[in-house]
Order: sequence, then structure tokens, then C-alpha cells
Amino acid sequence: MKQTINIPLGSQHIALLEPVRFKFECENEKIIGVDSDVGFVHRGIERACTTKFKFDSIGYVVARVCGLCAITHSLSYTVAIEKLLGGEISKKAKYLRILLLELDRIHSHMLCLSHTCENAGFEAMFMRIMGDRELVMEIQELLTGNRVQFDYISIGGVNRDLNSTVALKIKENLYEVKQRVLGYMDEFTNNWSLSLKFKGIGALSLDDAYIFNAIGPLARASGLNIDVRNEIDYLPFDEVGFLMQTHSDGDINARNLVRLNEILNSILMCENIINGLPEGEIFTKIKGKPNGEAIVRFEAPRGELMYYVKGNGTAMLDRVRIKTPTFASIPAFSHIFVGQDYADAPAILASFDPCLSCTAK
Amino acid sequence: MKKIEVSLDTVREVIEGFYEYKKWHFLTLNGLALAENKMEVQWIFSKYEALEETVVYFAQIAYTDVIPSIVDLIPSAIISQRELVDMFGVQVEGSEKGLYLDEDSLQNPLSGCSL
Repeated sequence: MKQTINIPLGSQHIALLEPVRFKFECENEKIIGVDSDVGFVHRGIERACTTKFKFDSIGYVVARVCGLCAITHSLSYTVAIEKLLGGEISKKAKYLRILLLELDRIHSHMLCLSHTCENAGFEAMFMRIMGDRELVMEIQELLTGNRVQFDYISIGGVNRDLNSTVALKIKENLYEVKQRVLGYMDEFTNNWSLSLKFKGIGALSLDDAYIFNAIGPLARASGLNIDVRNEIDYLPFDEVGFLMQTHSDGDINARNLVRLNEILNSILMCENIINGLPEGEIFTKIKGKPNGEAIVRFEAPRGELMYYVKGNGTAMLDRVRIKTPTFASIPAFSHIFVGQDYADAPAILASFDPCLSCTAK
Repeated sequence: MKKIEVSLDTVREVIEGFYEYKKWHFLTLNGLALAENKMEVQWIFSKYEALEETVVYFAQIAYTDVIPSIVDLIPSAIISQRELVDMFGVQVEGSEKGLYLDEDSLQNPLSGCSL
């Protein structure tokens, strides 16, 4: 009989400062089985949405599901309510929503890339990327008034207009970020610690990406053409230069390269928005109480985020269902770990860019 | 969103006939509390690279009913099946409690919470 040993990773682990536990069954150095546990800090937000808050406040409540993709949560919920109320918002508001959505994606991807460097033992690169990320945080604060919890989206539009001073600062900072990201591209392609070391590690094949319903950069790095920005019409992503970024290798290196290319595409989209921002109001009053069901999806930095909202014609909703990208990807994560060396597990996990704040909603 | 009603007896057969893994993307399993101690279970799919094409299969069930598992057809469904068990206190074939909620926490928090 073969001897195996169980090694836990989490719920408190230096490689992942978030409450998730993967229990690896290992045979020598190889992982042969995985069990996962995400039930550490469930916050009951779905229940609170139907028992404690009226529908017009919930956009600000669900933003608290996650600090990194708060904008995607509040946007998904708000669009679901706008669908139920039948309101149409101005084109300018739509463009400003995309602007913040893409800024959020840029800094979130930078955070993931910096953690990948940290896991590779490349501390200097980790610090460089975290420092450069501040350029994005700074313009998010200028645009919305906050660094993290923006509360920028409201039913009918957005809460702040973009003035010319802020627009100029966004362009300047994004130009700077773009130069730095082109530099990272060189490091992630040619530096041994960040490219060769991660090639072939933690790979997910295209077929397995389909089988496990992989989403986000994880799926696109395996060549699966899934990006919600390509499958929705609530916001005009096609008008501002969205291009899906894919790779075929499916490993850690491919995920890094997909994220780098997505940052560059998001910067292009932000520049196009600022250069071609339509005239008009940023807010349209939409009246009524939501009645009926709506499903809305958006592409969060980690992949598809889905909101199901059911209203009954009153201020209190019947149901708010939140499907977060990390939670939905756990079966794919577990599959990828099998057959890998335990020593690579922290780097593989970091390459998934998991968000346990979203998961423990 | 296209909604199609199914019964618990036929849902596996219906999904097996419908689901082509390179054409349809399984989004999640959803639950919705209804009056009279009933709930609605929804299996939600979207089509790859199609604009806003979402299909929802749904069944209205009693909390005591046993929901058939679709994990052999769609392996990623395991996680939302276990979530449904924890949140609504229903039984899904082969899905244990305890993924999301510990034993000492409030159980079945979404069971009838909006009623």
C-alpha cells in the first residue's frame, strides 16, 4: 500500500492571507488529492439584502462584498435593478462606469502580479508593482473620492462627473502605468524567476477549462474565449476598444501574460473613454419598485460575476443571489493542483488570484 | 433570460440532453424561497460567445424533496450544490452540509427568509 501524507494549506498561511483551506493528500512530493474548505467567515450578505435593506440601498451594501472588485458588485446589482425598473441611463454615465470598472481591473491585476513575484521570491519586483499600483489608486480616489469603497454607481447613473483636471491626471498616470507594465512584460517574459520557473506549472488544458467551467484569466490563459464583456450589451465595451486576451499554454506564466495584456487593453479603453467622453447628464432619475427577475453578469478582475435579483413590487426584494468568480472556480482550482508538486502549491494558488472576501459573502 | 420548468424526476435527463460542454457555460445553481414551505431551484446556463443568451431550468419543490445531483454531467456544479444545501437546508444527492457554514452557526439562513 502506498503511503500518503495530508498537508493543509490554510486557513492561515503565509502564502495566502485569506481564510481558505486546501487539504492536500500527497504521495512523496506530488499532490494526489485535494479537499477545500471556504466556510470560515460567512457574512450573510445575501440574507441581509432581503431582510435588512431596501432595494435602493443594496448597491452600497453589496459593494462591501469585496474591496478589490467593489465596483463590479455594485454595478451588477444596479444594472439588474435598472433592468427591472426599465430605465435607460445616459451614454456618458455608461462610459464613466466602464472607466472605473477598467481602473479597478488594472489595479487588481497588478496586485495579483505582485503576489506572483512575491511567491517567486522576487521581493523587489513585488514592491515595484505595489508601488506602481498606487498610480491607479490615486486616480480612483480623484475620480470617486475613495481609494477602495467607491460608492460611485447609483441607480440611474454615477455619483460624480469627470472634470478636466481629473481627466488630465488620469491620462498622465495611465501613461506612466503603461510604461511600467511594458517593463513588467519584459521581466515576466525573460526573467527566469517569473517565466521559465512557471512554464508548465499549474497548467489547465482547454478541454478541462470547458469541463470545469473555468472563467476569467484562468480560462483565457487556457485558450477559452470567455469574457463577459464580449457577451453583454448593458455597457458599450466594443465602442471603447475592448479586445479579448487569450493564451494557449494554460500555466502560471500564461495567466501572468494574459493579465499583463489585459492591463494594457484596459489602459487603452480608459484613454479612449477620456478622449471620446460623450456630453450629457451623469444621472437619470428612474422611478418605481422592482418587480420580476433579472440576471446580470459582469467581468470582474477574477472572472464572471453574476447577480440574480427578484423583486415583488415593494421596496424589499425577494432574493439577491451573488455568484462570485473565486467560489465558482474552486472545482477548477482543485483539479489543477492534482499531479503538481506540493512546493509549487503557493505559487499556483497565487496565480489563481483568489478572492476569499467575495467567496465568504 | 429563458425560463423552462422541469420536474425533479426529469431534470437530470433534460440537462443531459441540453448541455453541450463546449457550447453552454454552467453559471450556478440558485434557490428561491417560496410560500407554503416550498422553494424554487434553478439551474442557470449561458451560451459561450453569444450576446445575452441565458437559459434557466427551474423546479418548484418542497424542502423535504431530494434534488438529483448533476455533478457527473457538470463537475463544477459540486460547489453550488453544496452551497444550496448549506443555505436552504435541502438535500442534494451526494452533497454534504458544512462547506460554507460551521455547525455552530445559524443554519439554512436563506430558507424562507424573505417571506
